[in-house]
Amino acid sequence: MITYEFSEEQEMLRQSVREWAAKNLTPRVQEMEKNKEIPPDLIKSMAKMELLCPTVDPEYGGSGFDAVTAGIVGEELGRADYTASVPVFYLVQASWAHVFDKYGTRECKLKHIPPATKGDAFIGIATTEPGIGSDLANMVTTITPNGDKYVVNGEKNYISGVREVKQYGGGHVTLARQNLRAGTRGMTMFFLPLGLPGIDITEDEEMGREAISTGGFHISNVEIPKENIIGKEEKGFYIVHEGYEFARAIIACVCCGAAMKSLENGIKYIKERNAFGRAIAKYEGIQFPLAEHYTRISMLRDFTYKALHMIDLEQEGKASRMEVSKTVAMVKMFCATWAMQAIDDVMQWQGAFGYNKECPDQAAYRAVRSFTLAEGSKEIMKTIVARELLGKEFITYR
Amino acid sequence: MLIIACVKQVPDTSDVKVDSATGTLVREGVPAVMNPFDQFALEEGVRLRDAAGEGAEIVALSMGPPQARSALMKALALGADRAILLTDRAFAGADTWATSYTLARAVGALGKIDLIMCGLQAVDGDTAQTGPEMAQHLRLPQVTYAERVTLDGKTLTVKRQTDTGYEIVEVRMPALLTCTPPADFVPSTPPFSAIIKAKKKPYEEWGAEKINTDADKLGLKGSPTQVKRVFSPPKRGQGVMLEGNSAAAVAGELFQVLAKGGVL
Amino acid sequence: MITLAAEKCIGCVKCVKACPFGVIVMKGKKAVIGDGCTLCGACEQICPVSAITIERAMKDIDLTQYSGVWVVAETEGSQRVKNFTFELLGKGRELTDILGQSVSCILLGNDVAKFADTLIHHGADSVFIGESEALSRYRAEAFAPVITGLISRYKPCIVLFGATHAGRDLAPRVAASLELGLTADCTGLSILDGLLLQTRPAFGGNIMADIICPYTRPQMATVRPNVMKKMEPDAKRAGEKITVPVKIDASSFRIVLKEILDSPQTGKVKIDEADIIVSGGRGVCTNGGFALLEELAGVLGGVVGCSRVAVDLGCRPKSVQVGQSGTTVSPKLYVAVGISGSIQHQVGMKSSDTIVAINNDPAAPIFQVADFGIIGDYRAIIPALVVEVKKNRGG
Repeated sequence: MITYEFSEEQEMLRQSVREWAAKNLTPRVQEMEKNKEIPPDLIKSMAKMELLCPTVDPEYGGSGFDAVTAGIVGEELGRADYTASVPVFYLVQASWAHVFDKYGTRECKLKHIPPATKGDAFIGIATTEPGIGSDLANMVTTITPNGDKYVVNGEKNYISGVREVKQYGGGHVTLARQNLRAGTRGMTMFFLPLGLPGIDITEDEEMGREAISTGGFHISNVEIPKENIIGKEEKGFYIVHEGYEFARAIIACVCCGAAMKSLENGIKYIKERNAFGRAIAKYEGIQFPLAEHYTRISMLRDFTYKALHMIDLEQEGKASRMEVSKTVAMVKMFCATWAMQAIDDVMQWQGAFGYNKECPDQAAYRAVRSFTLAEGSKEIMKTIVARELLGKEFITYR
Repeated sequence: MLIIACVKQVPDTSDVKVDSATGTLVREGVPAVMNPFDQFALEEGVRLRDAAGEGAEIVALSMGPPQARSALMKALALGADRAILLTDRAFAGADTWATSYTLARAVGALGKIDLIMCGLQAVDGDTAQTGPEMAQHLRLPQVTYAERVTLDGKTLTVKRQTDTGYEIVEVRMPALLTCTPPADFVPSTPPFSAIIKAKKKPYEEWGAEKINTDADKLGLKGSPTQVKRVFSPPKRGQGVMLEGNSAAAVAGELFQVLAKGGVL
Repeated sequence: MITLAAEKCIGCVKCVKACPFGVIVMKGKKAVIGDGCTLCGACEQICPVSAITIERAMKDIDLTQYSGVWVVAETEGSQRVKNFTFELLGKGRELTDILGQSVSCILLGNDVAKFADTLIHHGADSVFIGESEALSRYRAEAFAPVITGLISRYKPCIVLFGATHAGRDLAPRVAASLELGLTADCTGLSILDGLLLQTRPAFGGNIMADIICPYTRPQMATVRPNVMKKMEPDAKRAGEKITVPVKIDASSFRIVLKEILDSPQTGKVKIDEADIIVSGGRGVCTNGGFALLEELAGVLGGVVGCSRVAVDLGCRPKSVQVGQSGTTVSPKLYVAVGISGSIQHQVGMKSSDTIVAINNDPAAPIFQVADFGIIGDYRAIIPALVVEVKKNRGG
């Protein structure tokens, strides 16, 4: 049995992040949503709190957090920023800096990670392409060795943080095909600074989490040095899952934070709001869904930290890859749906105001909706769990 | 230079309510925080320690139940070098006199001190008495309502609030200051590395036996004041929202209700 | 009981300078405490070698020897007596009428004896007058020993201070040295079974508490200004004036006043004595809207106040700040414009007779204490209100 409890340091960090966010983040969320931008000074302030790329080795400016601690920060940011823009900024960067730190070359890390930990650059992930999401084997982007350099061609889309990278610098941990005959087994992971010549960025409009950009880029004959290769050539597909699993578990933390915060808003509201002569909290039609949502989110939260703890155990060789994949998938399968259901009811309790743009819960609803898709759809999570239960011979796509 | 920063763990007052049925305080689920006035005093103290340079030390001191450890851990994360929690059943129920007496005795046990930094008041009791009473117990000069402090050798220059504005005073240490944050003060939130460091700093818990006290002057027994009753403040009548179609209409409405009520 | 250990005395003369009553003299390079010592403790504090000790036998004291209600007056230099002093005298009258005792006022300052009559007219049966150059501006080092000494000597039953910055600096100093209880910021005082029942807010005004001091005397409290009602002054009232000889040598003080940065008063009526206050906060400050508030206050015959933010943004002086760290007010009408209404602000204005709140944020906490609320833009509402007032008053 796996058990965990938060250390005093973790509890202190949670409190500190909560206080920081209450003063520096929550009051600015509305402005962020309106301006569609995370203010640079806010990112700087996160850097001062040592929240950027937190698992990274201190040599590269990180704090050497374990996954559980990184999850605590995710949960608190999820509570504080109901548009989930800052949580997305945080978790994408944290997850991919984590992989970059683990498998990247020293030269490349020294060049690209410290600016990100200082809040001067963004590190993202670029795997998705037009026409392919979870089905990575049909990727069109290629990476080709050329002397001591590599040449990249192709296209990526639905990528978080393209504008941030354009604005501050940084780049994306990218996956492309190197051995074109080998499918997923011939893919290479590398760091692609988006400022390089030959990269054209476009931006998309999304339903929620508006302060962080999403977009795509064309890559035409872009040269990168060898040091930018992350992990072994043609082995990118194997390590990309580590980043995904890390990100999925933190997404679940963000969902828990957002849902719990929304339920707290709801509790406050239903106790004060009267209908037909009494507080609406007196009605079972309100009480029962409240109890159910609270229970579901509490169970989800516990299991989420268990998943994060398993990621930590895996680093120590005490949990297997497959166990981690499965546990994370179980959490990610339901986190967004359950959080949405909870937030949906909180909106409903608030009547017409619940649908008003001023209501934080509707923004949370729109934001959390993205997590049924982002970093692996909930359907893919089901195939992962089924694969672990049935065996590889039952994998649908084989 | 040895600085003592007194901190108190308090319930987050914005969340405290009185149960209207029983008249008792509902503290359940109310988060405990470091008294914001004390955090300002502590942060000023840390700044003064840094200004004083090599060999200067700041000790965070608190009295309270064992849970008050978390306020002191935060003090360490904010830069205190050492923390002491005065915790003993004998201290329980102390009013400001007994509290200031106990704190003063603990300060006495720390030897020769230069400066005591206190918050002006704690947000739970709002009395502003513990600081000056401690100063009296220790025979130290006090500067209350301090907003800004600078150090030059052994002399502090303090900008303090008065009833009519501000005054600048100078005081030679040793002295006690009670501090109130200017509105632009943004309390620090310790980053992870400061938290890790805090855990490695000396933390002690002292009971009554560690300090030289007269048992009759501690806790409830040593408190001249007694709380006879706690109750909800009388509620104001439900207010009326005025909703006219235009500024002129709403202004007219307001004038009418005020005139009718004899206010204008 | 005070003792001076002659073998420890180094003859530094600090205690001689510090004694506010001038009873310590030097005899053969050693200090000697003469008759008339009040046990005020000033010498004990200043002595660098701890040669002086005071033991106060506060246990098992005879409570019946303590009689009378004292009010510690505050003045603005030699200009005027602060209003709360009269309020406390009014309250003191009420309490002594129940107790069958008398009310005394402690009047310390420089050139303040002239106020004694008006204090008597407002309810004092006697006034203790202590005058000295060193008392011209409030400072704990000068005031605390004098008051401590007077209490030790005359043994009042109740001592009331104003819960002003000065009162909250002074009272705890006195209470600690006399080993007395002290109740801060009282908003209610009454007599219950012969004891002073002291009612005060706590937790930022979220709760109230009744406090008593059953075993020590005097019972001491600081009292919020603008809460108690003063009595109608009666010019026919007579009372005793007792001059307290005060000799303070300010050169012995450890705290040196370097600079006074008083805010200029705006208008003639002071904020804590105005019947109508139009107060502005952040919302007004950032838009330069105080001119509109001045205009409204002008037609209403009131004054303009502000929240703390307005002071910090530098658009209003500290002297007109309403709230916990400013002034407590209780006018007949308080109009809060663009003030969100933090607990700290509410503490300072909640006892106003009528509160009007104008704010564009429907969630602003100020609406919870307002009798009348308007959600909207003050820049439209205030001018409309000015027009309305002028119209109705034929101005």
